[in-house]
Amino acid sequence: MNAVVTATGLSKTYKNSIALNDVSFRIESGRIVGLIGPNGAGKTTALKAILGLTDFKGELNVLGFDPRTQRDQLMEQVCFIADVAVLPRWIRVREAIDFVANVHPRFNRAKCEAFLARTKLTPNQRVKQMSKGMIVQLHLALVMAIDARLLVLDEPTLGLDILYRKQFYQSLLEDYFDENKTIIVTTHQVEEIENILTDLMFIRDGRIVLDTDMDTVGERFVEVMVSAEKAATARSMRPLDERQVFGKSIFLFDGADRATLESMGEVRRPTVSDLFVATMKGTYA
Amino acid sequence: MTITWNDSVPIYRQLRERVVAMILDGALNEGDPLPSVRQVAADFQINPLTVSKAYQELVDDQLVEKRRGLGMFVIDGAREALLKSERERFLREEWPALFARLQRLGLDLKTLLREGPDSTGNEGSQS
Repeated sequence: MNAVVTATGLSKTYKNSIALNDVSFRIESGRIVGLIGPNGAGKTTALKAILGLTDFKGELNVLGFDPRTQRDQLMEQVCFIADVAVLPRWIRVREAIDFVANVHPRFNRAKCEAFLARTKLTPNQRVKQMSKGMIVQLHLALVMAIDARLLVLDEPTLGLDILYRKQFYQSLLEDYFDENKTIIVTTHQVEEIENILTDLMFIRDGRIVLDTDMDTVGERFVEVMVSAEKAATARSMRPLDERQVFGKSIFLFDGADRATLESMGEVRRPTVSDLFVATMKGTYA
Repeated sequence: MTITWNDSVPIYRQLRERVVAMILDGALNEGDPLPSVRQVAADFQINPLTVSKAYQELVDDQLVEKRRGLGMFVIDGAREALLKSERERFLREEWPALFARLQRLGLDLKTLLREGPDSTGNEGSQS
């Protein structure tokens, strides 16, 4: 398969903390990868390294380029939406479109305008007159009209209400994503995007602690609800996590035999949030 | 659109079942196009690969066909084939259990059938 990002031994140290600790991973083309981790785990540093916005140790190849030395070529193929709004407050919608049209060779003005026509934004409106959701709509319209191969989203829906959040991902799936494009997204609202993802990466304390595709998640991880008398048996099978609901115990297993688990109680696929909570236990302790 | 997925069955299977139910209910007729993968992915907020997988199963089961450049269409005879396989499945899996339950509860099938879904089931049963 075609690797879009290949990282080998990626490390980044800030003055007195390690943000990335010898991280290696590979992201293929046509995937939607969720990079999930608690605050301060190294998500944004990893994204910045991919975008050539920070220096680092180790090897990193993004679309065949080294982000440190070939940033200009790379930026023709990569788009980025960050949680920190970057659109200047004074700019008008039409000025923003003109600007991107002038600086980006792969920008399609008609596509951008078609997308904006479906919103309430008007050409003369300034960013400072917009709600947070509208600013993201404008940003997304500008970005989706660029024929880039890699889209990096860092908490893109932070602070948006649920209508704007749904619309955001709906637009991406409807008007942007296809098998030649790749999306890397970080978010704390995992449950809203877990069905969109093809791959999942958990990052904790600067290390990748889980890196797998979603089909494998369904095969590897199983939750089973067992009654009190079987709890000791389940506990002896080394579960990742245990919690109590309505007098029953729910155990989360990694790679345990499914038939054995099915004989003990009702099994189901854990949600990404369940998996995340179990994996990150003790992070803030 | 928001739908709640069941955690014990893979989403692509659930999506397949929805299409099957729509064909059985006549919401999708033979020769009708299925919505595009992209549309379903966006509407249900699921990955396009999941949708493709569900559609591929329907193709494998010879219920829909891919027409080059046009998308997926319900095959002629799909409803009849589904009815046949669903009837067989009912008789094989559900009917024996249902029959056993009727007997256990002392309900008379003939009375139930005559009185329809509002039946009290009392007449003719030995109470």
